[in-house]
Amino acid sequence: MLKVENLGVRYGAVAAVRDLSLSVGQGELVALLGPNGAGKSSTINALTGLVAPSAGRIVLDGQDISRVRTEDRIRAGLTSTPEGRRIFANLTVGENLRLGAATRRDPKGVRQDMERFLALFPVLSERYAQAAGTLSGGEQQMLAIARSLMSRPKLLLLDEPSLGLAPKIVVRIFDFIGQLKAEGLTLLVVEQNARQALRFADRVYVMSSGVLRFDGPPSGLADEHGLLNLYIGG
Amino acid sequence: MDYALQQLLNALAFGAEYSLVALGLAVVFSIMGLVNFAHGEIIGVSAYSVFLAAALGLTSPIVAVLLAIAAAALAAIAFERVAFRPVRYAPTTTGLLTAFGVSIVVQNLFMLLISPKPQSVSILNGLNQMWFFGPFAVSSLQVMELIVSGLTILALVLFLNRSTLGLAIRAASRDFATVRLMGIRANRVIATAFAVSGALAGIAAVFIMARRGSVSPDLGFSLVLKAFVACVIGGFGSLPGAAVGGMLLGFIEVGLLVVLPQEYGGFKDALTYVIIVALLVYRPEGLLGQRVELGDKEI
Amino acid sequence: MARTEVARSEMSQAIENTAPVAATRPGGALARSLIGGLVTSLPVLVVGLLILNFAPTYHTFLALGAFVNLIVVVGLQVFMGNSNIANLGHSAFVGLGAYGVAILSTPLAMKKLSIPNAPFGFATLELDPVSSALLALLAVGILALISGKVISRLSGVAATIVSLALLIIVHSVFLNWTDLFKGNQAFFGIPKVVGLPWMMVMSVVVIVLARLFKDSRWGMQLRASAQSPQAAAALGIDARRLRLMSWVLSALICGLAGVLYAYFAGTISPKLFYFQMIFMTLAMLILGGMATVTGAVTGVIVLSVGLEFIRSIESGVTIAGIQLPQLLGLSGVALGVVIVLCMAFRPSGISGRYELDELLSRFFRHAK
Repeated sequence: MLKVENLGVRYGAVAAVRDLSLSVGQGELVALLGPNGAGKSSTINALTGLVAPSAGRIVLDGQDISRVRTEDRIRAGLTSTPEGRRIFANLTVGENLRLGAATRRDPKGVRQDMERFLALFPVLSERYAQAAGTLSGGEQQMLAIARSLMSRPKLLLLDEPSLGLAPKIVVRIFDFIGQLKAEGLTLLVVEQNARQALRFADRVYVMSSGVLRFDGPPSGLADEHGLLNLYIGG
Repeated sequence: MDYALQQLLNALAFGAEYSLVALGLAVVFSIMGLVNFAHGEIIGVSAYSVFLAAALGLTSPIVAVLLAIAAAALAAIAFERVAFRPVRYAPTTTGLLTAFGVSIVVQNLFMLLISPKPQSVSILNGLNQMWFFGPFAVSSLQVMELIVSGLTILALVLFLNRSTLGLAIRAASRDFATVRLMGIRANRVIATAFAVSGALAGIAAVFIMARRGSVSPDLGFSLVLKAFVACVIGGFGSLPGAAVGGMLLGFIEVGLLVVLPQEYGGFKDALTYVIIVALLVYRPEGLLGQRVELGDKEI
Repeated sequence: MARTEVARSEMSQAIENTAPVAATRPGGALARSLIGGLVTSLPVLVVGLLILNFAPTYHTFLALGAFVNLIVVVGLQVFMGNSNIANLGHSAFVGLGAYGVAILSTPLAMKKLSIPNAPFGFATLELDPVSSALLALLAVGILALISGKVISRLSGVAATIVSLALLIIVHSVFLNWTDLFKGNQAFFGIPKVVGLPWMMVMSVVVIVLARLFKDSRWGMQLRASAQSPQAAAALGIDARRLRLMSWVLSALICGLAGVLYAYFAGTISPKLFYFQMIFMTLAMLILGGMATVTGAVTGVIVLSVGLEFIRSIESGVTIAGIQLPQLLGLSGVALGVVIVLCMAFRPSGISGRYELDELLSRFFRHAK
């Protein structure tokens, strides 16, 4: 579904990502792991088009989208839940969800999806008319994911869904991610928290200092001597 | 009593007009950080369009009003396309100076293409009459300014809270990148914000023409300076702040006119600005502005 | 702790960005920027000397006006270039300087005609030009200190709007306090004691001053804090105080320009010190490049020549036998277009980041 070939991202003289190639197949959950500063977020931003890649190609469903604008990538079915959640704090929970569905033209389907997520996350339903900024971190993460799903993406990029959350909540978020996978959604999850990310991953990429260091099944990661400790620190 | 009521109406009418213009500035500033000095020239384009249409034989005031609003909205969109898009991601100062430049260009184009002198426009004079309520005589224009501004602000609030694009504008004021991640086109959000801002300016232009009966190249300039000041006292970028700031400015001005002896009337503007600057000493972030800590704004 | 570390590295980067050449050898820094200032003022001196020796009277008069603009633009650069906050009120200080000397130094016989009812005994006061100039600058300094206290506290946009408010306040006082400022009418009879030589000397002094400030510890810290406010604050740099300092210095230079203008023209009126001057000097600074003093000088030279050319068209010329009509507003359009195009395509102006001397030394280093 998604194919990235020899991607490079530079900020001025600094190369954040070098020669990165990866792919995500239909219905797969792929984890992209790596320590802080490895270039994971730069990769995601290049995939969504918020930063322009300096080299390489990004192919979605056989179409080269490297030069396509962010908005049109989202419309083509690639959606991302950004790092740090980035919910619209000054809008209500309901308004956040509505904006998630901004590209859709089927009001009925939108309403159904909205009801589904509100049933799934009762707390969002309770706080429906409150400013999203009043939600707790975990609730905001649920809202951010639900908001992304409102556009009915084919491929969802999740950037550090565990960031700054309590361990118990992280487990719940990943339970939900596993459920999304079971429903057939294709996902690319970027994480520092390897243990959680590996629970449902079909395949794993590990990167550090902007370069891909490992590519294979989660079991392979355990085999490679000390790789987990080396790059992820647990 | 009569006098007090009259002055109250004066203050409300002035304040309403400032609020309209200040809101237009705030809508654009809140989403793209652009300090739009050319807002006054949007009012100018609107007014000169009516002037030209009248010169070409337009007689219907209703059409003139619609034309004024449409011309202003289009002018705002055009300014964005031509001048502001290249500096969209530039620092605030760059955008501010660009807008200042646009303002100079357009003002001088009016001079060059039409005339440096004021031109008479009488098509909207009918809006400015005296209405008698029992013992009270009030200016129809002032009553209309108050009502129309109120309705316009209501419509703006509804638009920003109900429509998807309105929500996107509010969201974009905090985090434009994430709005784009919703698949909402940045260009459309910005064009809409400019159109809204322009339409508000167009409504103000109608009132100005009805009151003055003429158009001149610097028509909107001094009004926009005041609207900026309204934005600053309200808290720059805050929409409620702009509305409140505009009203407050109206009250300060009329208050000074009442208090100042006739021979010092010329100092009204100077004193208004002095009062406002003094307010800023105590609340540098404005009345409704939040004290933004450095680095709060996400890019 | 970690934050301070980040701040420190960001800060040193900011300093590197803003001061590419200076600050490497602290001992020679002062001499270096002194020489730099003198090098920058060389083109001004050359132009001035050429005009002094060869130009007809009309052009000398134009040149005097251009020198006044030069001093204003350099003054503007001191604040805008270092703090990176747009200032749209500086001609208030030019006006105050000019009116200051007008009120203090105009001969009593003239004052009887122009401001017989001036308050505070000004109607019966006549000082020599030098004391008048110093007192006028004192007044400018006081106004700058008061307004600067407010402006240095505000965020960038609000500060700009308040600078505009200051312009309007001062202009409105000139217009309405007729007993003292003679209102809308021209204030005439100011002793004409300044010619081109004095103007040149003052221009050089001001250019060197601006350069010394820019390269001083304060100027460097101010530019660094404009680039990354948090980093500067974390290092204990008091950006407000520095902004106030550059604001006052900028105002004094603008005030000096006003003093000189009054002393060469002999006649002034409020509209000279209003938006027209703001437009023009701002366009000059932006075109030349506001980051450097060289930029200020370049902008004045280029636009003064350009505008004079446009003005000649504006008044209606005959080209190839066709008489063009008067084109009032053409120069305004040109100024605005210069600003808009510069901002879109070259926000750093003609001269960019480097001063003339820095460019020259880079050039020679590469040539070797």
